Amino acid sequence: MNKYMITYDEIVDLVHKASTSISADVLELMHKALAAERQPHAKAMLQTMVDNVEIAAALDKPVCQSPGIPTVYIRFDDDAELEDLVAFIPKAVSECTGKGYLRPSIVHPLTRKNSGDNCGRGVPNMEFQYVPGQPYLEVILSSKGCGAELGNVSTILTPTTLGKDFVGLKKLVLETIVKAGGIPCPPTGIGIGIGGQMDVSAKLSRESISTRDWRDTNPDPLLAELEAELLGNINKLGLGAAGIGGDTSCLAVKMATAHTHTAICPVTINFHCWVARRFGVRMYEGGEREFLFRGGN
Amino acid sequence: MVARTLTLPIDERQIHELVIGDTVYLTGTIYTARDLAHLKIKECLERDQPLPINFQGAALFHAGPVVRKTEQGWELIVIGPTSSIRMEPYAAMVGELGVRLLIGKGGMAQASRENFQRHTQAYLQAAPGCAAQLASGIKSVRNVYWLENGMPEAMWVLEADRFGPLVVTMDCKGNSIYEEVKSRAHRVLQEIYG
Repeated sequence: MNKYMITYDEIVDLVHKASTSISADVLELMHKALAAERQPHAKAMLQTMVDNVEIAAALDKPVCQSPGIPTVYIRFDDDAELEDLVAFIPKAVSECTGKGYLRPSIVHPLTRKNSGDNCGRGVPNMEFQYVPGQPYLEVILSSKGCGAELGNVSTILTPTTLGKDFVGLKKLVLETIVKAGGIPCPPTGIGIGIGGQMDVSAKLSRESISTRDWRDTNPDPLLAELEAELLGNINKLGLGAAGIGGDTSCLAVKMATAHTHTAICPVTINFHCWVARRFGVRMYEGGEREFLFRGGN
Repeated sequence: MVARTLTLPIDERQIHELVIGDTVYLTGTIYTARDLAHLKIKECLERDQPLPINFQGAALFHAGPVVRKTEQGWELIVIGPTSSIRMEPYAAMVGELGVRLLIGKGGMAQASRENFQRHTQAYLQAAPGCAAQLASGIKSVRNVYWLENGMPEAMWVLEADRFGPLVVTMDCKGNSIYEEVKSRAHRVLQEIYG
């Protein structure tokens, strides 16, 4: 038995929950968007969206047919024994696919042959982060639809194109959002990774929008200010739910940085659909559990 | 804003009557088609091979369902729209097939707008990420073609009963809600950051 007493059933439960419901913070923001919406078509879309979450829960069905690429964020300390966890995750994804909770959507990138169980080389994607001294093992499973991926942008800005007051970055974010329009299933969450080299900015962009509470405030004051400014300005664009015009286009902007080289400023803009299927658990020694994103249930 | 139910297959006159912003429900046979089904259709046409179905007056749903095989046949679990823009390269082909309605999310681009006018077609936006709700409008799975391409990419033949709600977002007169919304958004962007 490992220190945190990880069981296969609890990993299955995590995958199941991250298919048939959305995280409590995002659902709260969706209800707020619905209440505030003034454009009738967008309001009807938002109403269908929140109704859909209820129907999926009542019928124990997937909220959305598109599971995206199952991604798991694992934050571990010195004592964590990850062998069981790493074995349980693909097995649980495969089992939940067989039960109809996840559509088999993973294919070879060139031949396009479907593996049939949402597993394959590099899938589920497991992202490990070593956190020395952390008194628990944290596992967050995140599913986001791949329509969101179609609008994503990675680019390398320079000290010049970053611009005064970061206006180059801000314009890039808004232009990317206008270009994507309704494709990423708005209202979206926007993850922005800045710094490192291209790969680092891309990883940070997904991690920030997939693992943070969409209502939180960034502890870095500069990023907190930028997140608030961008969120406000994105919602002035009027793209609206489904991209057919409305008040709320975006529910949250989450940014993360890493230091970078003096010559470059890598930026990745990562869309997250409103269907934020993600759930997490912190496993403590002796079997105690703290659940993330589940709200009241 | 008008809400109406259309029974498939539908004709040119009914497409002409659709106005941007109308809410529509569909009853009758609907065919799913994503990237690989479009490629397969293209391949059949190029090789002069017969297509398994007649698309005249049809509704093509850009979607890949979650289905389960039972002793009674295929059971639909959920279904929702995929991003239609990926099918933009097939705009002319789909128009020439006689397809009247396209259902999806996010809308389509200039080639589709032109072909919608040329072939009298319209585009219907389904609520994105609403697969459980939309599944309530599908009564049965009648058939499937090209399942070797995988569950999402196969062409599923579905029997719909008041499937929706769907909003008319591109019509046969060259109008597109998406283009209007984006033009406005560009102007706002210019005002904010220059």
